[in-house]
Amino acid sequence: MNTPLLIKNIFIVYLAALTLFCMVNTAQAKALPAYKLTIKNGHFEPEVINVLAGTRFKLVITNLGPGPEEFESKRLRKESVIAEGVTRSVVFAPLKIGEYHFFGEFHLATAKGKIVAQ
Amino acid sequence: MASTIFIVWRESIEAMLVIGILYSWLKNQASATALDKKNASQGMRYLIAGIGAGVLLALLLAYIMLKIQTELASESLDYFQLIMVLLASVLIVQMVFWMRRHGRHLKQHLETGMQQASEKRSYIAMAVLAMIAVGREGAETVIFLYGTGLSQQQHLAIFISLAVAGFILAYLSFWLLSKGTRYFSWQLFFKVSEALLLLLAAALLVDSVDKMIALDWLPTLIDPLWDSSNILDDSSRFGGVVAAFTGYRAQPALMMVLVYISYWLLIKLWMMRINSTSAKQTKVVKSDSQNRDLSSVQNKAIES
Repeated sequence: MNTPLLIKNIFIVYLAALTLFCMVNTAQAKALPAYKLTIKNGHFEPEVINVLAGTRFKLVITNLGPGPEEFESKRLRKESVIAEGVTRSVVFAPLKIGEYHFFGEFHLATAKGKIVAQ
Repeated sequence: MASTIFIVWRESIEAMLVIGILYSWLKNQASATALDKKNASQGMRYLIAGIGAGVLLALLLAYIMLKIQTELASESLDYFQLIMVLLASVLIVQMVFWMRRHGRHLKQHLETGMQQASEKRSYIAMAVLAMIAVGREGAETVIFLYGTGLSQQQHLAIFISLAVAGFILAYLSFWLLSKGTRYFSWQLFFKVSEALLLLLAAALLVDSVDKMIALDWLPTLIDPLWDSSNILDDSSRFGGVVAAFTGYRAQPALMMVLVYISYWLLIKLWMMRINSTSAKQTKVVKSDSQNRDLSSVQNKAIES
């Protein structure tokens, strides 16, 4: 019956290591290049955002409404509900050169946009 | 307009699925023996408490999302959501294995104090799971309903009825699944539920790995490993539902694929271990209890 205990301990060590790793990693994240994105009447403005490839950056998203919006992109691994009148900044991991589409889950037909990493 | 129904359905089906399965399972336990009945009704109280706590959590999170302005708050919310998703994934897997072991235990095992203590722990885990299931998606439902409701004052009545329709549809989806027990056997219902829960846990795991990659905590290794968006686009409505319930990604990173495969391998290993230990236990108890009510023991063994 020592194996479950062992597995448990291994998991604890893994978790501790991961936490440490994260703390080191987050400590260096500040003063990122920022890009603005506005949501209005079910549309994104601008619909194309050019960013620098290979650098962390943040998107400052403001929802002017009417109503809430969910900024979503499977490719960019983001999902963020933004209520009307709220500004949220979303930090992105460095992107490779390419196009990354995103959309507004609550206005699927109209709310579309993409980030172009160059 | 149809999107209102869909969004509400989509946001509430997950919680209904988890709670519905736990509820059916407890109800089935309750009908087994007198002792199980006492335990199961205790479990039911925990489940209801968990749902209540979940509604409060949803309101609290929704309030935070409405008021959020600073970067720090926004970051903290991201971390909190990551913890919730990961915890939900772990708890679902734990719940599946607990149900499995439980189904195989014989009733005399429950009489010991230790078993009762572990029973209580499992009920607490169940309550926490219900709380997260309701709280996580519930917060988004609240934001959507409240926000969209406010912005549609002229059509408020239509909007409310559409939202209610979404809830009803989600309930019907679960009801259909649970009615399966009528037409099929409990075992089949349990197997289907188990598969659905394990898939959901996998999807939540994928979601949390995505969040960790996005935070730059995990490397992608190769990204993307492939692109199957021509076959099934995960950003389409149907693809999104598949993604939410299986963890499907059209453009997954190698890291994600590795995690996904390891998850199913671990599940498989655990299942094999449970099956082999419970087979041993059944043998021991059977020889111990020859002068006890043999038929009930056998019934239980057959059930499991």
